[in-house]
Amino acid sequence: MSENAKSVTIIMIEDDEGHARLIEKNIRRAGVNNEIVPFASGTEALTFLFGPDGSGDISAGRSLLILLDLNLPDMTGIEILEKVKANPHTRRTPVVVLTTTDDTREIQRCYDLGANVYITKPVNYEGFANAIRQLGLFFSVMQVPETA
Amino acid sequence: MSLSRSSFLLRTLILLLLGLVALASVVVTNVWLVQRTQDYVTEVTQLRRLRAAGVDLRSRLQDAETGQRGFLITDDPAYLQPYDDALANLGSYMDRLRKAAEVRPDLRPQVDQLALTIDARLGELRQTVDLARQGQRQAAIDIVREDRGKELMDQARTILQNIVSEAEDDLGRLGVAQGESANALWWVSVLGGLFVVFITLIGLLTILSYLRQLAATRQEVDALNVNLEERVRERTAELGRANEEIQRFAYIVTHDLRAPLVNIMGFTAELEQGVATLQSFVSYAGERVAGPDYEAAKLAAQEDLPEALGFIRSSTRKMDGLINAILKLSREGRRALKPERIELPGLIENAVAAIAHQVSEAEGEVALNVKVPALVGDRLSLEQIIGNLLDNAVKYRRRDIPLRIRVQAVARPGGLVNISIEDNGRGIDVRDHERVFELFRRSGQQDQPGEGIGLAHVRAMARNLGGDITLNSTFGEGSIFTLTVPAQLRATTRSMAA
Repeated sequence: MSENAKSVTIIMIEDDEGHARLIEKNIRRAGVNNEIVPFASGTEALTFLFGPDGSGDISAGRSLLILLDLNLPDMTGIEILEKVKANPHTRRTPVVVLTTTDDTREIQRCYDLGANVYITKPVNYEGFANAIRQLGLFFSVMQVPETA
Repeated sequence: MSLSRSSFLLRTLILLLLGLVALASVVVTNVWLVQRTQDYVTEVTQLRRLRAAGVDLRSRLQDAETGQRGFLITDDPAYLQPYDDALANLGSYMDRLRKAAEVRPDLRPQVDQLALTIDARLGELRQTVDLARQGQRQAAIDIVREDRGKELMDQARTILQNIVSEAEDDLGRLGVAQGESANALWWVSVLGGLFVVFITLIGLLTILSYLRQLAATRQEVDALNVNLEERVRERTAELGRANEEIQRFAYIVTHDLRAPLVNIMGFTAELEQGVATLQSFVSYAGERVAGPDYEAAKLAAQEDLPEALGFIRSSTRKMDGLINAILKLSREGRRALKPERIELPGLIENAVAAIAHQVSEAEGEVALNVKVPALVGDRLSLEQIIGNLLDNAVKYRRRDIPLRIRVQAVARPGGLVNISIEDNGRGIDVRDHERVFELFRRSGQQDQPGEGIGLAHVRAMARNLGGDITLNSTFGEGSIFTLTVPAQLRATTRSMAA
């Protein structure tokens, strides 16, 4: 694992605690040891990403990777995606959409908004675990730019 | 005025009958009156004849008397000419009177009396004339002076006068009766005619009002029709929205159900790993810590926990299957249909080719009778429906007899096409005919793998195409599934569900 990858913080926005836990476990099993910061609601995640003033200055200089679920209790993941890709400090941050929705239009919309990867959570657990582990392997070779 | 159809019919019928009866009675009365007039005419003719006969007879008598008197006075035979003529003709005149008098039988005694009187009078005349011819003029005049001849003549005159006046009276009476009869004819004709005209007018009014009512009703129906079409459109749109909502609901529900299921399955897998660790620890630790607590822990780790986990796993797998089935159905409902021209024989042959291997294994055969060359429909849906039904025919065949499948396609009135797939398989109990089309429901012996979604899916697709599927089956003898689809798939069918 490169130096760069080591310093990357994984922001996991996922309201289902079980899913969050399983995702974390499987990423760890893939040998990824980066810090994972979980958020169970969109509001908390936005505060972390853009600060209390919403400017995004707080994220300047961070190396982030966002794991995003689309079905959140207080807002849709699409909104978060829009904000992340619209803010000059976070727009280069890779966003992995990880959700149960496999609607074609939804997937297209996410890519149109700048999502880097779109993964449908497989229903069977083996598939799910496998997908997450592969995602972890992908993380370990991925270069994440430092935010401006 | 409001007339129902039956009361209108009754009314016109009654009016018609009334008019008919009136007309018939007028005709009958007229015929009767005319007949009576004719009778009068005959009677009048007879009476005239009687009167004429009476008058003529009187003249002839007078002629005879005149001739006798002239001869007696002048002694010139030339004056006898009227006498001779009268004498020669009197007989026939008398016969005429007698005949004419038959019209009044009551006059007969008078006629007989008259005949006798005339005979006597003629006898007297003949006697005097004969005497005068023999030169005994004085003797003849003496006889005349006896006045017997005059008396007889007066008698005859009186009788004749009586007969003539009787005839004249009758004629007068008949004239009055004839006038009355003509009057009656006039009244009957006029009144009857007026009545018929009246009835006809009422009938016309009834028909007119009924026609007006019909026209009004028709207008109303037209208005209602327009309204109805509007309402059908509204309802269709509502149905479309409701359908859309259901599809969305199914889609969302399945996705939301998936999330907790992933957790259950995920942590079950984690648990299994934990149990595996425990098991290896228990078997490894057994040598050092023996005792009842250890036995209980060993039992839990080696039997109870794996069993519980096994049940959780099989249940979640099943639930996963069900959710996937619902998802598949909801996806099918959301899929946009693509109407295209489909060569039906080719499509069916392809579907049959797909099961050819299994059919030959079952020593069976498939008969095709496709009388519909082509239709416009959604290829994928049709392929899936027919394929599914053929699969079922093979899957639920009877093992003891060779498999026979018959696929037929016929055009039906109303722009529909019937595609029926008939097999000689195990059949479906009649109480399950509706149930087999329901989601997750199966029928009969459960010896084949499946989740009970095939026919539910088939029906959903058939209805999506604007058609339907029906089942006709006898348990133990075979089934006929009949798919009915429009020959021209319309875009509107789709807009409802999309």
